[in-house]
Amino acid sequence: MKSPQFDYCKPDSLEQVFSLLAQHGDDARILAGGQTLMATLNMRLSEPALLIDITGLKALGGIRVQGDRLYIGALATHTDIENSALVAQHAPLLAQAAPHIAHRAIRNSGTWGGSIAYGDPAAEWPCCLCALDGTVQLQGPGGARQVSATDFFLDLYTTALQPGEIVVGADVPLDSAADWVGFDELARRHGDYAVAGLAVAARFQGTLAQRVNLCFLGIGQIPLRARRTEALLAGKTLDAGTIEIAVASLKAELDPLPDLTHRADTKRHLATVLARRLLQAAHASRSAIPA
Amino acid sequence: MELTGDIVLAAARARVWAALNDPQVLAACIPGCEAVEVVGPLEKTARVMVKVGPVRARFAGRILLADVVEAERCAMSFEGSGGAAGMARGQSQVQLSDEDTPEGPHTRLRYTVQASVAGKLGQVGGRMIDAAAKQMADQFFGAFQAHVAPVAAPAAEPLAAARSAAPEPIAPAQPAQAAAPSTQALSAAPPPSSCAPAATEWLRVKWFALGALATALGVWVGARL
Amino acid sequence: MASFHTLHVEVNGQPQKRSVQPRQHLVDFIRNELGLKGSHLGCEHGVCGACTVEVGGRIVRGCLTLAVQTQGCKVRTIEGLSEDGDVRDLQEAFIRNNALQCGFCTPGMVMAAKELLEAKPDASREEVREWMSGNFCRCTGYHAIVDAICETLAERARKGQKVGA
Repeated sequence: MKSPQFDYCKPDSLEQVFSLLAQHGDDARILAGGQTLMATLNMRLSEPALLIDITGLKALGGIRVQGDRLYIGALATHTDIENSALVAQHAPLLAQAAPHIAHRAIRNSGTWGGSIAYGDPAAEWPCCLCALDGTVQLQGPGGARQVSATDFFLDLYTTALQPGEIVVGADVPLDSAADWVGFDELARRHGDYAVAGLAVAARFQGTLAQRVNLCFLGIGQIPLRARRTEALLAGKTLDAGTIEIAVASLKAELDPLPDLTHRADTKRHLATVLARRLLQAAHASRSAIPA
Repeated sequence: MELTGDIVLAAARARVWAALNDPQVLAACIPGCEAVEVVGPLEKTARVMVKVGPVRARFAGRILLADVVEAERCAMSFEGSGGAAGMARGQSQVQLSDEDTPEGPHTRLRYTVQASVAGKLGQVGGRMIDAAAKQMADQFFGAFQAHVAPVAAPAAEPLAAARSAAPEPIAPAQPAQAAAPSTQALSAAPPPSSCAPAATEWLRVKWFALGALATALGVWVGARL
Repeated sequence: MASFHTLHVEVNGQPQKRSVQPRQHLVDFIRNELGLKGSHLGCEHGVCGACTVEVGGRIVRGCLTLAVQTQGCKVRTIEGLSEDGDVRDLQEAFIRNNALQCGFCTPGMVMAAKELLEAKPDASREEVREWMSGNFCRCTGYHAIVDAICETLAERARKGQKVGA
């Protein structure tokens, strides 16, 4: 299936991008990696008049430490993040999640900013960003602003991005010795959209979990933080008893939407399987650390 | 795909009925609706531009009404084509019942939709069908609630007055109505003939638009990549 | 509405200058403009891997890349990769293991495997399977393909050989 006709341009400044967006509105689409957009056009599920290629904007690239945060520019590809020594050191959750994103050829093109801007509830980056309490950096004709990840993803494919704005990057807190992170997802085949996935970001004091962030993908309309269960886990040791309490809480808290291949209760069950695995791994890891 | 909903609207059943009868209200509430047209007494068409994530699909739908019990319920069958994207067909049922609260008369609106999606929409949209349908339904009923809620009442009064020929005949129509609550069996055969022709027409248009929404739901969900 | 763009791109070491429509995919450009038929069209939405080509040293989906996006880039197709001889051992392993029958998926498989050999020279069989899961085959049942890649990895490790950066 071939794309419909469209015009193409590659601006070399953000001002040009904003001007084009203001001029064309929803008839223009931002093109970065294009791994979602091109598939949509090939299937004729959208027929924009203009593609605005932003890969020429060097300011939108890069992975760097900025103060107490790790900043990743919108144009960083999934492979860039997968291979980055800075990410491995400062945001190991992202390094764990990256190999789950589709396949290598797609990771070589697809971008951090694109994944965040679409906000697919089954995507890895929105989920990790919410688990880490990251911040999304936006820019528009009115200037720059930032939105916390958990305020950015509002509804299915609906984010806090205003018309005329683009995602320029997102940052996450630096990983510390007291942190434990884990990511896992379940899909019918490796690289498929996940049926359910979980990103855990926990802060420990010894084996005591001071806080445990649990963010699910593929369960709700947006990346889903299981706040009630998180509250139950705060200040606890993640032994078998606590984990069972968490699982019971998740069964009550999570209300997954079914899809054509999985019922709601299957997704709920799989979510608890992931929770058990990751919480057990967290406990085992912290228990192995000498006091 | 199956979708059910149960919402309480802060308005009396007659007002809800009138608003649902108003094609302008419906066209304003259906997300992306571009046009609603009467083709025949039992048949309507609608054009809706569906936007979910990266998808932009314009589709055309057709609704056929049946089993109308004024101010109470209706069933409809629908089919819609999204052009290159695929198509959807299905049925939906809507029921209204009184739900009086200390704040005044409210109406409980229950709906069910069963839809199947074919073509590319069904192929690539499978994992998102229910989620997208739910979002569209939430958007519709959110907008609809704003139209019928008391806050909007002053603006809406003239509309209701102008349409008074429509709701009035409904009141004396069915003895069963007086019993009100929500346990009507859908299969009961309604006699709508007690309505004035204009009322019947508004009624049809209203249910049509609901069907258009339901069609939009079906096609749109499948349109989700 | 759409204008033609002048594309300057290096393909298999040869500079090319062509006039292209923005909507044209890279794989269609390669096949139809340049006559390089080794890259194949399967699903045209990024899942089957038959269109896999190399841009700037990295594999990409030729159906999800616009030709105009490769302005000023270096592109390599299966024809160029074969000529360069980088993966002769892999190709021979494919033949030895009967890892191709109709051959439709094979260029994409070889492209994907090439990047695996570079990026993960000590990949386990499980890792090879995960990496290659982005390429579909309708004939072989995949085992022979995985065997061929694992054989090549082992052989290279034995010889202490490294390919690429």
